[in-house]
Amino acid sequence: MSHHYVVTAQKPTAVVACLTGNFTSPTDLNLIIARNNQVEIGIVTPEGLRPLKEININGTIAVMKHFRPPDSNKDLLFILTRRYNVMILEARMVGDTITVITKANGNVSDSVGIPSEGGVIAAIDPKARVIGMCLYQGLFTIIPMEKDASELKATNLRMDELMVYDVEFLHGCLNPTVIVIHKDNDGRHVKSHEINLRDKEFMKIAWKQDNVETEATMLIPVPSPIGGVIVIGRESIVYHDGSNYHAVAPLTFRQSTINCYARVDSKGLRYLLGNMHGQLYMLFLGTSESSKGITVKDIKVEQLGEISIPECITYLDNGFLYIGARHGDSQLVRLSSEAIEGSYVIPVENFTNLAPILDIAVVDLDRQGQGQIITCSGSFKDGSLRIIRIGIGIQEHACIDLPGIKGMWSLKVGTDDSPYENTLVLAFVGHTRILTLSGEEVEETEIPGFASDLQTFLCANVEHDQLIQVTSDSVRLVKSSSKSLVAEWRPEGDRSIGVVSCNGTQIVVASARDIFYIVIEDGNLQEKCRKTLAYEVACLDITPLDEKQNKSELVAVGLWTDISAVMLSLPSLDTIYTEKLSGEIIPRSILMTTFEGIHYLLCALGDGSMYYFIMDPITGQLTDKKKVTLGTQPTTLRTFRSFATTNVFACSDRPTVIYSSNHKLVFSNVNLKEVNHMCSLNAQAYPDSLALATKNSVILGTIDEIQKLHIRTVPLGEGPRRIAYQEASQTFAVSTLRIDVHGRGGPKPLRSSASTRAQNITCSSNILPKPGGGNSTAANAEVGQEIDVHNLLVIDQNTFEVLHAHQFVSPETISALMSAKLGDDPNTYYVVATSLVIPDEPEPKVGRIIIFHYHDNKLTQVAETKVDGTCYALVEFNGKVLAGIGSFVRLYEWTNEKELRMECNIQNMIAALYLKAKGDFILVGDLMRSITLLQHKQMEGIFVEIARDCEPKWMRAVEILDDDTFLGSETNGNLFVCQKDSAATTDEERQLLPELARFHLGDTVNVFRHGSLVMQNVGERTTPINGCVLYGTCNGAIGIVTQIPQDFYDFLHGLEERLKKIIKSVGKIEHTYYRNFQINTKVEPSEGFIDGDLIESFLDLSRDKMREAVLGLELTLYGERKSADVEDVIKIVEDLTRMH
Amino acid sequence: MSISDFIKGLTIHDSNNFTHLSEHGLRTSQRRASVYLPTEDVASEQLIVMDKRCVLLRYLTQQWDKKTLQRKREHGNGNEGNNGNSSTPNGGSSSKKRPRLDPNELNN
Repeated sequence: MSHHYVVTAQKPTAVVACLTGNFTSPTDLNLIIARNNQVEIGIVTPEGLRPLKEININGTIAVMKHFRPPDSNKDLLFILTRRYNVMILEARMVGDTITVITKANGNVSDSVGIPSEGGVIAAIDPKARVIGMCLYQGLFTIIPMEKDASELKATNLRMDELMVYDVEFLHGCLNPTVIVIHKDNDGRHVKSHEINLRDKEFMKIAWKQDNVETEATMLIPVPSPIGGVIVIGRESIVYHDGSNYHAVAPLTFRQSTINCYARVDSKGLRYLLGNMHGQLYMLFLGTSESSKGITVKDIKVEQLGEISIPECITYLDNGFLYIGARHGDSQLVRLSSEAIEGSYVIPVENFTNLAPILDIAVVDLDRQGQGQIITCSGSFKDGSLRIIRIGIGIQEHACIDLPGIKGMWSLKVGTDDSPYENTLVLAFVGHTRILTLSGEEVEETEIPGFASDLQTFLCANVEHDQLIQVTSDSVRLVKSSSKSLVAEWRPEGDRSIGVVSCNGTQIVVASARDIFYIVIEDGNLQEKCRKTLAYEVACLDITPLDEKQNKSELVAVGLWTDISAVMLSLPSLDTIYTEKLSGEIIPRSILMTTFEGIHYLLCALGDGSMYYFIMDPITGQLTDKKKVTLGTQPTTLRTFRSFATTNVFACSDRPTVIYSSNHKLVFSNVNLKEVNHMCSLNAQAYPDSLALATKNSVILGTIDEIQKLHIRTVPLGEGPRRIAYQEASQTFAVSTLRIDVHGRGGPKPLRSSASTRAQNITCSSNILPKPGGGNSTAANAEVGQEIDVHNLLVIDQNTFEVLHAHQFVSPETISALMSAKLGDDPNTYYVVATSLVIPDEPEPKVGRIIIFHYHDNKLTQVAETKVDGTCYALVEFNGKVLAGIGSFVRLYEWTNEKELRMECNIQNMIAALYLKAKGDFILVGDLMRSITLLQHKQMEGIFVEIARDCEPKWMRAVEILDDDTFLGSETNGNLFVCQKDSAATTDEERQLLPELARFHLGDTVNVFRHGSLVMQNVGERTTPINGCVLYGTCNGAIGIVTQIPQDFYDFLHGLEERLKKIIKSVGKIEHTYYRNFQINTKVEPSEGFIDGDLIESFLDLSRDKMREAVLGLELTLYGERKSADVEDVIKIVEDLTRMH
Repeated sequence: MSISDFIKGLTIHDSNNFTHLSEHGLRTSQRRASVYLPTEDVASEQLIVMDKRCVLLRYLTQQWDKKTLQRKREHGNGNEGNNGNSSTPNGGSSSKKRPRLDPNELNN
């Protein structure tokens, strides 16, 4: 048996559908976005778009539409999934909480229907009398909407049209009337059908129009009183209402196909159209009024500007649009009546979309033990590389070279009313320096009241426009306006101050075992109390728990010798609680803070680890002790505010931001190597910033919005297909597809993109002859024809600059790419496989494998070999090149003459699309024959087929989990694991790869790579996970598959079963049904996989529900079997979440 | 008509919407809303059920119904004295020209 845990690290980002309506209340303007299996409800506000809730649907959303029942002032949502589940949802807002009610649900699948070739289409009658769907060929499925019936009887109507491209309902018809674009041998036609809802049949054809444009794809129904329909074709637009007919063929349309529209006004005069080139158009219907009513008299179309390649568009409000995309980032854009640089479209906000992820590389560039992912994301003009790592990004705005900083504080000095800070105090050994920030300039200054010949321990703005400076000698109170000393406090004798903490009104100072409590008054420092503690004080904190207060009731103290955290009450300095920290490492920094209304005490130790507790603000009692490892050096904790929330910055060799999400603490790495000190800075030129002291400099910068996955975009302007990393040259190689258009002087790029902007550009000179002779397709292309141009880009690993672009001549395309060290050759090479793709051929017959060497900023071709077919996959195999070429798997060795020589060959596939290797074993993913395990017998120089999975599957990616276990992804969104049975007794059994685990992921995995996003061994792990495979999907999701032992699987499976019962499904699709492994009509229950997304939702449940979920659950902890309590399970699940 | 005229007078639901956008130029956002986790079971008001009858059979039944209707009519016309039970309203003179009747109505 094989056990796995699969969890999403990055949720799908591709937008399938979007719409605007009133859902949460009759007056709320909501934007609803559908992504793969999620629906996001957002609201339009003066500040922009605000996401309210994300709703998981146990199914892949195929269609999302909205409608308004006749007697309602709110809209309802209709969703149809890929497995033909349907649901009608209503959002209700009670106070600040949204509830989503499933008004109706069911399944409209047909066991014998042939899925329609034009894809799943659905439309809703404008009067909400019926929902119509094209699901199967020759059938039109209707759901009549009877308000009071307890059952809605969906029925299939027989439809003469077999090839349907679009369906809509016409407005202003007595009976619900659909209009379809369909195709037959003569061309495409538009036809209307009136539906008799009582008899559930088509009544008559109200009107039809034969032979509309041959490429007509889309219908836009025009609302009453105008009525009729707009038919969108490849080159023309037609308005038709049965009697009235108008057509236009805008010149600008020819470039690309319109694929989505949005109605702008309810009267239906204006529409927005988007095409596959990312151009946005507006369509305007000119009307005239006569005795017969309003009739259309002309159609105008204008190009407005450029957007992301849209999947769907919706008009929001006041000229703002939402562009949902699946090839690039989704967008919020504004339409401006004045053109800005020729465009009437102004982008306002981009919403990150990674889809489609075609390839990923996992690398550890910083050598910090933490992987980052580089994805090939997006297509066409929206293609990009995305650099994804867990952590938080600092955007550097300024950097000052200043080594040896021991402390840093920002101050507001002077009398002006400006809310900004203008001074940075820097402490060094034996002296203090003060910097003034005026505009972007930084210059050194002095504050007369400050002691500059000593190291500052603390500086702050305090009550009554005063400043505090604490040195080893004394506490100095300075008037901000005059910058002169007004009061000073010293410990008696020659004792020196060791540690100190202050807030706006209070200071606590410790000198060895003595602790002093001082109150800050106007021009005076009043010592209120002193106490001697049992041991020397190592660290102190007096931060008020309530942000609105500038006074604390508690002091937190970390002690030497007995290694404890002690809580003292103020003003008496009485010890009210003591917590022994285990171990021998002394606490270095202690901090009281409040996250999401929960009070915490954080205590960082000298070895980079940190304890954290939940703290009672009255009694000082500490509970829920937890430990986490942040770095390896002494850590300093500082609070800062970012995006209106409190966060803690842990300065160490692995700087970390600590914040809270869903009432649990999250530890997020910062993309800086080392931070010794930090303070928040809100200066005029650097608002909402941080000042960070590294070993040799001060960095002024802003911190990214708190998040776990940090995504950086490197736009390419062309579609990336494959990526390979080469450590030797510190570069990435990326294969891209650029679309050129054939002009009079030959093909020309449509736009500037990565391959046209590269520092060096070379062109492949060696053009393979087209099989059968004749000219290449590029040469005899028509003017205006699009040509695919493949490029090999060499990209710098740090700057992501394109160092070199090597262009292949169409029709030569890059099919595979890798970096490899071959034979005894000391060089590392890029190995590129190409093929000649000729549209008339079912499969390319000729290709080549080329060896490139990138060295000294030069790309040189070292060798090439011709292959008879497409090389789909390349793998480095013990210093040799392993290639999947058509139906063959072939091994090439690298000779001393720097040539590729075929060593051995096996033909046992339909098409060997995917290859992975481990030791002598090779895993092959076939086009349709699932996976096969081969072994290379080195002595004999042959391949031997060891075993294969005999169930047919159309593969999308494969990976070797361990010597016996193999992971596959197939085209219906399923994952499966096959295992080699080495212990089998018969040869027959040994030749099988039985399928031991299966799971429906609901998204198509394109690539698997071994690697981890997080540093190993952070915190105390309770979860025994083994290995980590990352995957990237069509919908832009990134996830993790890991192996787990049987007992842990059993425990999680128990929890999963309980959670399935507790968490109710929106749309009432059972979780078990959703995760069923389904290929066409074959359905098998999911097994061997734990749904990590469901498990992690445990942490978001209320305490009561958590208790309910763990009731009767047993787990093995430290070798002991016991019944699980909520705390145990929280800890385990939190540990699991730390994988991503 | 210029493009500017095209864009003028776009629909306004609430003129306040998008008036307080931050001035930081083009923003990139990865923000996601919190996940909705319902734990209360609310029964669906309506269940969508599929008419499992074969489309072809249903079509044939309909055709058959039509034919029987025809036959009944003819039969009814032949025995005018016995048409007390006949559901054919005001038995017209030419059955061929009569509009098609609803078979459900006929069965009632």
